[in-house]
Amino acid sequence: MTDTVLVDAANTRKWGRYLYISSVVLLCAWVLVPIYFLMVNTLSSPETVNSFPKTLVPEFDLGSLTFFAGFAGMLTALKNSVLVAGMTMVMSILIGAPAVYALSRFEFRGKSTFRLLILLTRAFPLPLLALPLAVMFIRTGLDDTAFGLALVHTTLAVPFAVLITFSLFSGIPIELEEAAWTLGCTRLTAFTMVVLPLIMPGITASAIFAFVISWNEVFAAAVLTIENRTLTAFLLQNLDTSPLHLKFAGGFILVVPALIFIFAVRKYLFAMWGIANR
Amino acid sequence: MTLFTKVIGAATGAALTCTAFAAQADVLFGSTQANPVEEQQEMREQVLSGFGSPVDYQSNDGGAWLTRLNAELQAGSGSIGALGALHGDFSAMNPDDLVDLTDLGLSSNSEKFNTLAKLGTDQMQYVPWMQASYIMAANKQALQYLPVGADIDALTYDQLIQWTANVQEATGEPKFGFPASPKGLKHRFFQGYLYPSYTNGVVRTFASDEAVVAWEKFRELWSHTNPGSTNFSFMQEQLLSGDAWIVFDHTSRLAQAFNDRPDDFVAFPAPAGPTGRGFMPVLAGIAIPRTAPDMDAAKALVTYLLKPETQIATLRATNFFPVIDVALPDDLPPSVKAAGAAVAKMSASADANPGLLPAGLGDKGGDFSRVYVDTFERIILAGQDIRTVLDDQKVVLDGIMKETGARCWAPDAPSEGACPVE
Repeated sequence: MTDTVLVDAANTRKWGRYLYISSVVLLCAWVLVPIYFLMVNTLSSPETVNSFPKTLVPEFDLGSLTFFAGFAGMLTALKNSVLVAGMTMVMSILIGAPAVYALSRFEFRGKSTFRLLILLTRAFPLPLLALPLAVMFIRTGLDDTAFGLALVHTTLAVPFAVLITFSLFSGIPIELEEAAWTLGCTRLTAFTMVVLPLIMPGITASAIFAFVISWNEVFAAAVLTIENRTLTAFLLQNLDTSPLHLKFAGGFILVVPALIFIFAVRKYLFAMWGIANR
Repeated sequence: MTLFTKVIGAATGAALTCTAFAAQADVLFGSTQANPVEEQQEMREQVLSGFGSPVDYQSNDGGAWLTRLNAELQAGSGSIGALGALHGDFSAMNPDDLVDLTDLGLSSNSEKFNTLAKLGTDQMQYVPWMQASYIMAANKQALQYLPVGADIDALTYDQLIQWTANVQEATGEPKFGFPASPKGLKHRFFQGYLYPSYTNGVVRTFASDEAVVAWEKFRELWSHTNPGSTNFSFMQEQLLSGDAWIVFDHTSRLAQAFNDRPDDFVAFPAPAGPTGRGFMPVLAGIAIPRTAPDMDAAKALVTYLLKPETQIATLRATNFFPVIDVALPDDLPPSVKAAGAAVAKMSASADANPGLLPAGLGDKGGDFSRVYVDTFERIILAGQDIRTVLDDQKVVLDGIMKETGARCWAPDAPSEGACPVE
């Protein structure tokens, strides 16, 4: 009797482990396989890209990438994209973090309305807002500047920054801050020395979100910039009308910088689960 | 922390350097044409490089192009110097927003095009820039299945259906390809090809008995069509991949197939129906918005684009044909030779029934095309009864015609007032 129970338990554990491993493999494949195919096709000649069955091994034909290397304005567009995404990241954190601090530490009238209002900025489709925004930007001189576009992207990114960091903030006991105050900290230094390190993963996560939102945004970028195009505005809307091998190469070029960025900041993100497990 | 601060530092540092950028004095040429990245590159390197002063060529998706332009017009100041777009894009605009180009003394070799370019006013609102058309193309492997007695340069719709059926029987797969994706140009097939060939009209005959026959034929053709067609928008891709052997599309959307493998494909005229071989042109024009920052430079650019050498360079770059009389050189790319020959055969055929672009619809041009697309989706994709659908859609079409007061255009018989849907 006890033997069967033990065997059953061992079996369940074994199957549990199989299930766990296969879920991990599936999830990794989910993310990695499309990126791998993108890479294989980027590094293949146009003939191979159009042929069937598809090969799984890149043939390292650099034709498609060479085309983009010689494509006028690519580097400027890449620089603009990094610039706008960077500014979006900084601004959405500078605006989002204090907002979250206020939301989680103070009671004030209209708090719940405020939380709802923050979300509301995502309720209007950009093509609807783009025309009046562009008119205003042209009149104020913000038009065609990285800063102007970053302002728009910040508006899109702040709700995410607030949502992500809010729960983390709320999880940090106010006693920690109070202890810091008794040890001679002001509200500001208590925040920077005690709270900030603890919520760093949340801030990183929202920074990544802000970066990716800005990196991926096409319509506002296409309307609000004209000479200082971002890479996405510059490439994405023309890629769908381009031949297949250039679609792959262009897609690859759009994906890689974002991947590099996420890789660079990943350790701050992983720390978030450390907090969650506590 | 260090890496993170570095990233932020780099971003802010870069932000500061960026603000030091000064505005450039180049003419900004905002276009909805020559969209594929390779064509853009050719436009910049082969066509616009000869202008003398630098031209910033920017090709955009139609929606972003129009929003940007409207914003500049509303703000009263802008950076776009010249506009390149299809006749339909311009006709949806307010003619007052475009500068009168009559005094440039430029015109195309087609009186019809020149009249269209006036957008209903008595001034040149845009200058015809380049033209194209829609043709058929086939993989040479499909030629062996041509029905007995059929001449590929004088096909009828019945022969086309038979041909696609033969191919399907031989290969086991439906190999006709039709650009029916949202980005595909299927509505032009109905407006310029199917309807004129079967009903000798587009608007008047929309719900006629002949139209019912036309849709029945198309339904038959659809049964031999690759069902993936609802995802196809550039048939060159399916020609190259072999997913389709016989296709219909815009000449510039077939070009890559001919340029990549010139020996594998043939181009040929669109088929004919009971009322002739219907076909229609595509007309692109150049205009100057009233907010252009440097009017003289923009006008110089328009003049430059209409020069014979520039027109030939444009043909090489975009597969759009010149609108002025030029002697074409012999060393043109295979796609241009193939498409040019097919269009010439189509226009010269005894049963040619050339149509015109819809005119006088103003900003309802999109709604007009929507009627044909909806009809296609209901009859072919949803399998609804042809008569019922045509009677439903007729009301919508009639509403558009009455609202805009647009007169009939060829091949419809001329009308006094708004073109009636009979």
